[in-house]
Amino acid sequence: MKTFYRTLLVYLAFARTSFQKRMQYRVANLAGLTTNFFFLLVHIFVYTAFYAASREPQPLNLTEVRTYIVLCQAFIMLMPLWGGRSEIADTVKDGSVALQLVKPVDFQAYWLADALGKAFYYLLMRSLPAYWLGKLLFGTVLPQQLGTYFAFAVSMLIAIYLSTAITITTRSIAFWTLDVTGVNYIAHTVITFFSGLFVPIALWPEWLADIARWLPFEGLIDIPFSIYLGTLTGVDIWQAIGKQVMWTLVFIGLGRGIITRGFSRLVIQGG
Amino acid sequence: MIEVRNLSKTFKVYHHRKGFFGTFANLFSRKHRIVQAVENVSFTVTRGEIVGYLGPNGAGKSTTIKMLTGILVPSSGSVTVNGYIPHRQRKENAKRIGVVFGQRSHLWFDLPVQESFELLRRIYRIPQEQYRHNVAMFDELLGLGAFFQTPVRQLSLGQRMRADLGAALLHNPDVLFLDEPTIGLDVVAKSRIRQFIRQLNAERQVTVVLTTHDLDDVEQLCNRVILIDDARLLFDGELATLRRMLSKERLLSVDYAEDYSDVRMPHTRLVHREGTRVQYRFSPEEIRTAALIGALLQKFNIVDISLQEPDIEELIKTVYEDNLILRETSKLI
Amino acid sequence: MHHLALYLHFVKLRIRAQMEYRLSFLFELFAQACLAVIDFFMIAMLFGRFKQLAGWTLWEVGLLYGMVGICFALAEMFARGFDLFPDNVVRGEFDTMLIRPLDTFFQVLAHQFILRRLGKLLQALVILLIAGSQVAIAWTFPKIAYLFIALVGGTCFFIGLFVIGATTCFWTIHSLEMINIFTNGGIFMGSYPFSIYRRWFRLFFTFVIPLACVNYFPSLFLLGKSASRGVLVAPFVGFIFLGGAMLFWRWGVLHYQSTGH
Repeated sequence: MKTFYRTLLVYLAFARTSFQKRMQYRVANLAGLTTNFFFLLVHIFVYTAFYAASREPQPLNLTEVRTYIVLCQAFIMLMPLWGGRSEIADTVKDGSVALQLVKPVDFQAYWLADALGKAFYYLLMRSLPAYWLGKLLFGTVLPQQLGTYFAFAVSMLIAIYLSTAITITTRSIAFWTLDVTGVNYIAHTVITFFSGLFVPIALWPEWLADIARWLPFEGLIDIPFSIYLGTLTGVDIWQAIGKQVMWTLVFIGLGRGIITRGFSRLVIQGG
Repeated sequence: MIEVRNLSKTFKVYHHRKGFFGTFANLFSRKHRIVQAVENVSFTVTRGEIVGYLGPNGAGKSTTIKMLTGILVPSSGSVTVNGYIPHRQRKENAKRIGVVFGQRSHLWFDLPVQESFELLRRIYRIPQEQYRHNVAMFDELLGLGAFFQTPVRQLSLGQRMRADLGAALLHNPDVLFLDEPTIGLDVVAKSRIRQFIRQLNAERQVTVVLTTHDLDDVEQLCNRVILIDDARLLFDGELATLRRMLSKERLLSVDYAEDYSDVRMPHTRLVHREGTRVQYRFSPEEIRTAALIGALLQKFNIVDISLQEPDIEELIKTVYEDNLILRETSKLI
Repeated sequence: MHHLALYLHFVKLRIRAQMEYRLSFLFELFAQACLAVIDFFMIAMLFGRFKQLAGWTLWEVGLLYGMVGICFALAEMFARGFDLFPDNVVRGEFDTMLIRPLDTFFQVLAHQFILRRLGKLLQALVILLIAGSQVAIAWTFPKIAYLFIALVGGTCFFIGLFVIGATTCFWTIHSLEMINIFTNGGIFMGSYPFSIYRRWFRLFFTFVIPLACVNYFPSLFLLGKSASRGVLVAPFVGFIFLGGAMLFWRWGVLHYQSTGH
């Protein structure tokens, strides 16, 4: 038990360093906040205009879509996939990850700790201001039950883990091909699309939504925000969170496999 | 050739407030202070001179060179090079000067040296004949041929430096500015570059202004030195004067085995003491080096001992402390 | 003539460097095209559900989308050097540019040429062509000429944005990030008709950052949605914008502080 605490403290220290590192980029952060808010505005204008022209009932009403958009722009920064540049992913790309692999800490746990530190920073500096502004201007929906908040928090935390694990996996391809820009481009686009970042999956055509439900990426955006909106309820919530957990474990295993094998390949090649 | 009158340059340096609220405040207003990089500097360089522009790190050497080459705009005062005002007639000036920065290449990183040269030929519109002649000459003097097809990023520091030198001279400039041209190079590479500069100066009457930390550079190349420190001109005169000073003072570093309370020695001055490490300044005219070391060995238990020529930093300290040059030249400002 | 020949030479070198890894280049081209297709697909999806947007059909919006996409891709292809300019300053490469007997603006322009943007360019062109055939426009010669000028003007507008962003570097390294709102954000908001935005938003993007002149006003003219004479001059606003940006650049260079003095 004692060693467990000691280990935990080490990772907490990592998270803290990561948080403090972020603090240096405050001007960039203000620019980022403005960017988030700009996209938030445009999205909301677009949906408002779409809804204004349509008489048919939709799976989500306008207020719910607005809330979804505010949540998106407020919370995407928490996840390494969209949360700006990931220094750690860069170490995979330039090979200096090898230095981390020989340290006496688990590299994936280290990365997760780093992602959490970053997420905490963005929560304070981006999410809360953006959310507050969005709510003030567009009157977003608030969950009625305390349990919903709890489920949302859990789901969001897993989403951060999931996105870290996915980022590590896609970046690890760097071990096999030197130039990964193209691969990452496609991966990023597909992931972003199927996460429901731009259009909530509820508004997708049925056949495409079915595909999305079978993929891991809805766990990044659509599941946590659907919980918040209350479109997922009761058992469905826990089923969805279970799905998130499962995919996170899959990607952690996948990333681990690729990196350890890629690393041994590096050693053999003497690269 | 080069006229510098009351040249000054100030920079605004922003400072960042620390701590959580400080960083927040930085978003909205930033405090800055004014840093004086060059202050009221005047000198003239005539055609064919090789001038050493010396001073410790941060003294304002590079800033001066950057104003002479048109990279920076002076805050006040005037500069003319070849009759052009560098920052206002930048392009005209650029055609007639060559610039080499030791810290950084001006060549294209991913291109082979030859293609960099070809590009420069186009940029400076160098006639084919002149180009061929120069490349052949630089090949002979600098040995460029060995790595002419190699991309710049793969060159060793010495090779890169030689390539940069050649590149800076392709268009037959009248003035050559060298900022730390031998920094980080080995002895062979250094001497090759020095020889090249000397020859070029002799054959083509190229005026050379060079900044350096290396007193050997100065000794072997410059007939005149300009010393600056803390943005101000300190000395402008013959190298011979400087050399007289140089030969006068030596620096002896000693590591003692014990922490002696009194480590003073006759005919020397104690300049630095940090724990068991002690530095003495002495003049070989007053006490021979061997005699001094002998005396030390007799008196103390010594771990290590080393003798140094004073470097530029050391030299400037001497200038300050002794007002030595002031008396001899009265050129100090 | 000297400058043109030099520029072509620089571009040749840039393209050769990018083609060095041919496979990865082709892959990236493909990746960009994929990204672009998914991008437009999302708009199409919304139209599938809601049918129309403030009186605009999908392919009318496609016209907007194609135009802004082409202009931005061209601007990035030619003027990415300005977008990457902060790196030049940090690495001290701008010092090198200043000791060359060439115009600094020209040198930064010639510093980069991004062939990969062909992927995005092609996608936007295809969308524009489909949209052009699907909407009710009689493509007379004057209209085609007008479209052409609008595309060049729009490209100039985006180049102008890059230049302004780069110029702010002479004072601070950070403010460039604000420009991304207008470049990346610009193509996003420019993909929809301006009439859906609030008034203050429209005014800002017409008179301060004249994004509306890139594709919205020209589309109004082409689709016959507006008879106002103002929309006729809209394509030229981009040229003026770039001119202003170049003057700003010229002034900014004088404030360059270099690094490590």
